[in-house]
Amino acid sequence: MYFIRKPAIVLAVAVALAAANTAGAQTVAVDAKIPAYKPAQGVSGNISSVGSDSLNNLMTLWSEGFQKAYPNVKVQIEGKGSSTAPPALISGTAQLGPMSRAMKSSEIDDFEKKYGYKPTVIKTAVDALAVFVNKDNPVKSMSLAQVDAAFSKGRLRKGADDIKTWDQLGLTGEWAGKPVSLYGRNSASGTYGFFKEHALNKGDYKDTVKEQPGSAAVVQGVTVDRYSMGYSGIGYTTPGVRAVPLSEKTGGKVFEATPENSYSGEYPLSRFLYVYINKAPGKPLDPIVKEFIKLVLSKNGQEVVVKDGYYPLPASVTAEELKKLD
Amino acid sequence: MTGGALAFCLIMVTGLVALIMANGLGFFWPGDIYRFTLKDGREIAGQLVEREQIPGSDTNVPGGLFRIKVKQANRDLYGTDFVWIDESAITKKDKPADAILIHRREWGDFIGVIVEVTDAGKSVAKGPQEGLKFLKSLLPQADATLAAIYAIEKGDIGQINYRQDALRLEIKKLEIKGEGARFKKAGIEAQIAELGKQYAIQSARIDELKKKQTANVKLTAAGGVEKELPLQTVVRVISPNTEGVIGKTLIYMERLWEFLSGDPREANTEGGVFPAIFGTVMLVLIMSVIVTPFGVVAAFYLREYAKQGTLVSIVRIAVNNLAGVPSIVFGVFGVGFFIYFVGGGLDRMFFPERLPAPTFGTGGILWASLTLALLTLPVVIVSTEEGLAQIPKGLREASLALGATKFETTWRVALPAALPSIMTGLILAMARAAGEVAPLMITGVVKLAPALPLDGYWPFVHLERKFMHLGFHIYDVGFQSPNVDAARPMVYTTTLLLLLIVVFLTLGAIMTRNRLRKKFAGSAV
Repeated sequence: MYFIRKPAIVLAVAVALAAANTAGAQTVAVDAKIPAYKPAQGVSGNISSVGSDSLNNLMTLWSEGFQKAYPNVKVQIEGKGSSTAPPALISGTAQLGPMSRAMKSSEIDDFEKKYGYKPTVIKTAVDALAVFVNKDNPVKSMSLAQVDAAFSKGRLRKGADDIKTWDQLGLTGEWAGKPVSLYGRNSASGTYGFFKEHALNKGDYKDTVKEQPGSAAVVQGVTVDRYSMGYSGIGYTTPGVRAVPLSEKTGGKVFEATPENSYSGEYPLSRFLYVYINKAPGKPLDPIVKEFIKLVLSKNGQEVVVKDGYYPLPASVTAEELKKLD
Repeated sequence: MTGGALAFCLIMVTGLVALIMANGLGFFWPGDIYRFTLKDGREIAGQLVEREQIPGSDTNVPGGLFRIKVKQANRDLYGTDFVWIDESAITKKDKPADAILIHRREWGDFIGVIVEVTDAGKSVAKGPQEGLKFLKSLLPQADATLAAIYAIEKGDIGQINYRQDALRLEIKKLEIKGEGARFKKAGIEAQIAELGKQYAIQSARIDELKKKQTANVKLTAAGGVEKELPLQTVVRVISPNTEGVIGKTLIYMERLWEFLSGDPREANTEGGVFPAIFGTVMLVLIMSVIVTPFGVVAAFYLREYAKQGTLVSIVRIAVNNLAGVPSIVFGVFGVGFFIYFVGGGLDRMFFPERLPAPTFGTGGILWASLTLALLTLPVVIVSTEEGLAQIPKGLREASLALGATKFETTWRVALPAALPSIMTGLILAMARAAGEVAPLMITGVVKLAPALPLDGYWPFVHLERKFMHLGFHIYDVGFQSPNVDAARPMVYTTTLLLLLIVVFLTLGAIMTRNRLRKKFAGSAV
């Protein structure tokens, strides 16, 4: 239950979503059943977070909210990649370990060796990993096999020939014959790991993928480079790029990266964003960590998720995550 | 040939600076708000950002078709701040006089038309004109309330917090010692509880102030959506379409000042960069203080004392090569040696009560400065040596002939004569250090530091603290912020600021050098 090999986010909950469609963009509403945050008494001290850079902004925004509720608390945030979270949690330098992928079993083992129990994982938001193309690019949809064929050397999905030019994706006119220029993330990032595992079936990236130091850099690259393709979290969408609808199987039904499709698990590259904490079973959690997580899972915290461009959790999930704190 | 090369370099540099200035300086200027009516009946209001030709459109239409990027703001209503509009789809374009731009503390800007201003649920002003006038008159008071809350949070509560932290550490210390702990512990816990009560009083004061925040402003955004904003979320209200050049200049200055002196907001994509400026300058200054004595002493030894031979030559080659080592290698060395070895050792010796949370055993401004000092050490050594080599032999011999010892000759004659060269080395070192980011990222720079490394609590200078840095700020905002389009101008502005700071620091050093030169020129002969 602690980590899911394949996070197909299947939620048997109908989620009330007000998706007002203005100017082609969507605004997502937080589930009305999630209660607002009520500050507790007697919280003070320092809290430190080390981990994912995809979650760096979210953590900063949450901590801004946390400090508003508790002016007497100091929050320090470092975001250098998901891989930096487990060592920081194990050594005790951080109380919060934000990660954009689930911990590997080796990382959990290391933690268990030190403490004798497993780290507690809290789902904090839903992200859809999008394959972005330039806003002018007419490509209608792609299957994961095609994505694999474009990004991977190994092509472990075995669905298609090596995709090098746009006509192989069915484009004509000026696009035909133009090489596909690829943008991706650097290897410390959880986004890199997740895409490799779930889109490329753990195959290796092509050497021509331009590795960028941040998701925003991927989006900017795709904005400027007309014949390019790149992947990063849906939260980084700008009007300069377009997320390509994806299908799991070649010729299968195509799904857009929307909150509904992510909740139902139909969009093939949706994932949870996690925060790992160190909670000894049967012992009460440090109040400052507990209140931080409570804030994250409250209406206020989930509104921040929307502000940062990710999808909020449905009420059923937040309720379940809150139970882990006791 | 050489002239051409120089001209080419100068053109490149000025071009780069001009690009940064062109993109960065316009950031604070409040642009006019246009209203576009589209063929499908939609209305979009916003500021014009850029215009480009639609690629491939000139094959059918001579001259091609164009599209414009508009900052429509209102991220909470529309989902994105920016939108592309094809010019061919626009049927009407005008500048409504009553459209206003509101800078908010959260969710970015808001563009709309005022419907009414309410206070405690009662309507106090209706309509765009009266509403704007009323809103502007209410803002100073709202700002004062916010400032009062901020003062309590940072001042009184900060004080309580600091003392509570100190007491908690005291308890841990006692626990480690384990002697007579229980008796003393009870006393300290009582003190902590007492501080807790004081905190309750202060937070009640904040609640009292928050009760004053009752005013709201109701606006309609393009497309007919209504939105009510509490007054305390409003930073400033601008009516760009009716404001003259002088008014806009004032707004520009105000925003520039906010940028220089304010704290960052909204995960660093808005507000000011003061903590980053502070961190950068302090880092460079600490680095200079460390690197100068080490570099100078090393150079003096190499030139004046060491027996010139193979060994010294090898050392000299090593120093020169050190200047060519990539900066990230120094960063890795800084992490391994300073942070884990020295810092970890200091923690175990002096701060066992804080473990496992590290004090010096994690990145901090001291370790970052030391790493940069190592990085720039070769520059100082080489230029000091150059300076020493230029001192006429007769000068030294005259000093020795008059009966001065070798040390006195070095201290009184060689050092003053070499001072300008030392300063040159320092200038180069500072310029290099201020622009360096890679080694800092692993030795102590953070996206958002909770406190400055210098404050009013003993020992005032907190060298173990993490800090913010302009170079890292540029990297972070440019590559990692989710709303890149909105944050990009900020990147240019911050770059410009960093350049200015480097120029400023270097100018300071150059002026000192010139003074020294004059002094030396007068006394040398």
